[in-house]
Amino acid sequence: MAQTLSAPAKRRSSPRYRLDLIPYFFILPAVIIYVIFNLGPVLASFVLSFFRWDLLTPTAEFIGFKHYDFILNDDRFWGALSHNFIFLGLAVVIPVAMGLFLAVFIYEIRLGRVFFRAALFLPAIFSGVVIAYVWKWIYHPFAGVLNPALETFGLGAFTQSWLGNPNIALYSTFIAYTWSSFGYSMVIFLAGLQDIPTDIFDAARVDGANFRQKLFRITIPYLYDVFTFVITLRIFTAMGVFGVIYILTGGGPFYSSDVIDIYVFRMIGNFEMGWATAAATVNTIIVVCLSTGFIKWREWRSWSS
Amino acid sequence: MEFLNGVMQRHLRKAPFYIMLMLATAITLVPIIWVFASALKTNKEIRENPLALPSAWRFDNYLEAWFGASFDAYFFNSIFITVTSVAIVLFLSSLAAYAFAKMRFPGNQAIFFIFLFGMAFPLSAKLGPLLSLMYELNLANSRFGLILVYVAGSLPFAILMLRAFFQGFPQELEDSALLDGCSRFQFYMHILLPLSKPSLMALGIFVFMGTWNEFFQALLLINEDSKRTLPLGLTAFQDEYVTDFALSFAGINITAVPVIIVYIMFQRNLIEGITVGSIK
Repeated sequence: MAQTLSAPAKRRSSPRYRLDLIPYFFILPAVIIYVIFNLGPVLASFVLSFFRWDLLTPTAEFIGFKHYDFILNDDRFWGALSHNFIFLGLAVVIPVAMGLFLAVFIYEIRLGRVFFRAALFLPAIFSGVVIAYVWKWIYHPFAGVLNPALETFGLGAFTQSWLGNPNIALYSTFIAYTWSSFGYSMVIFLAGLQDIPTDIFDAARVDGANFRQKLFRITIPYLYDVFTFVITLRIFTAMGVFGVIYILTGGGPFYSSDVIDIYVFRMIGNFEMGWATAAATVNTIIVVCLSTGFIKWREWRSWSS
Repeated sequence: MEFLNGVMQRHLRKAPFYIMLMLATAITLVPIIWVFASALKTNKEIRENPLALPSAWRFDNYLEAWFGASFDAYFFNSIFITVTSVAIVLFLSSLAAYAFAKMRFPGNQAIFFIFLFGMAFPLSAKLGPLLSLMYELNLANSRFGLILVYVAGSLPFAILMLRAFFQGFPQELEDSALLDGCSRFQFYMHILLPLSKPSLMALGIFVFMGTWNEFFQALLLINEDSKRTLPLGLTAFQDEYVTDFALSFAGINITAVPVIIVYIMFQRNLIEGITVGSIK
């Protein structure tokens, strides 16, 4: 055993050491596809944001920060970005809290665990397109279900043009997003809960701890890393929300629910590649800073406490 | 008697949890049931009473959506693109993850880090140059091109997950296999892969769902009707039949049913694929 373990080291130190090429053959196919169709375009997007170019003319002319100058002075860019931030602020609280509580409830019960987990996760399996159309019909002005339901329950005063009112369209899309994402947070929390040693809960019960004490003193501290993961996931999905809004409102009415990815998509559609790549680069910098900053902060906090 | 009382009490104490869970379940299930029920109604029924149940089980909306629009083509495209992408992702990521997890070579850490890098970017970060590249390579508007884009998008997560799994693989097994004259590729094919079936399954279902549901890149890269995937086809269908309520509902259901079936069959694997990331 000891012999086999020391074998690679011996080969390394011997003068006849030759580079072992086989590992590179194992990684090469993945590297090629990844670099050409994923990493390459990302880096190109960054580089090309400093050039004047479009889809049809291959020659590019260096123009420095001109594209950035345009988008940073574009009210629609800031509008879209601010909507992403509203989405983000809501997304790190509402679906996360719902997911946590539902996971705790499922953990507390015996009968029906499998059913509730499956039923609550169900909306998370659908494409954003399916989710959007389900909600488009719920919100539909006269064939929809929400307005008639409100009237049935005597809440007729709250009936709304849910997607047509610029003041609430963004929040209507957020409800559709939440509908499909709290189950996702829930299953991750539930997996985390099941990793907590049960004797801690037994000891708490013996000591007469109530539900709230167990939640704040045991569950939430134990799920520290799970929280970090769940919230990081929400940062990515909220800053990259596209399909649901694209179909529900297209960013309207009057750009009131516009977000960065729809802004970028619109710019590409108009062959404004420079503005599209500049906006995408700004968004990327924000997302990378937010997510890595958040993870570092969480790590620092857990060390320092 | 006292024992029974205790049992009753314990169950009663759980009642608030059940009530909250049932409320939440109503929020998730009622819209889905409503969309399924509405597809069995006529336009007149939907307009007059959107909340009512269908008066009869009518499936002609489905038949009309399937045959009237190109849902058969969308369905075939989605199956073909998703299955091929999953197969390629599983093969390439397991090969690479084996090297990253078990082999020592210059650049191991650095190249792995480059893959991790790809997970930090939002989707829109690559779209402009990707579109231009795909036109340049004649891969725009092509199912094969879309597969390559999907594979490239899934590789970072797949490699991260499998590498973590392979690192936990007993070293003695590999040592003795290699000592017996097994090549590393043979070890990978005949020992590592068969023993990793549960992980590959979880990863495969996870990638399947993500690929089947993908919309943004398909919207950007495909504009020929015969090459659309289901989510993309559904948007075209909804634009066309915007006033035909019943048909629209049927179209949504045709798109949703395959994922529901996969979900029912592979629920465990899917949730494993999702939660494995949180343990790391």
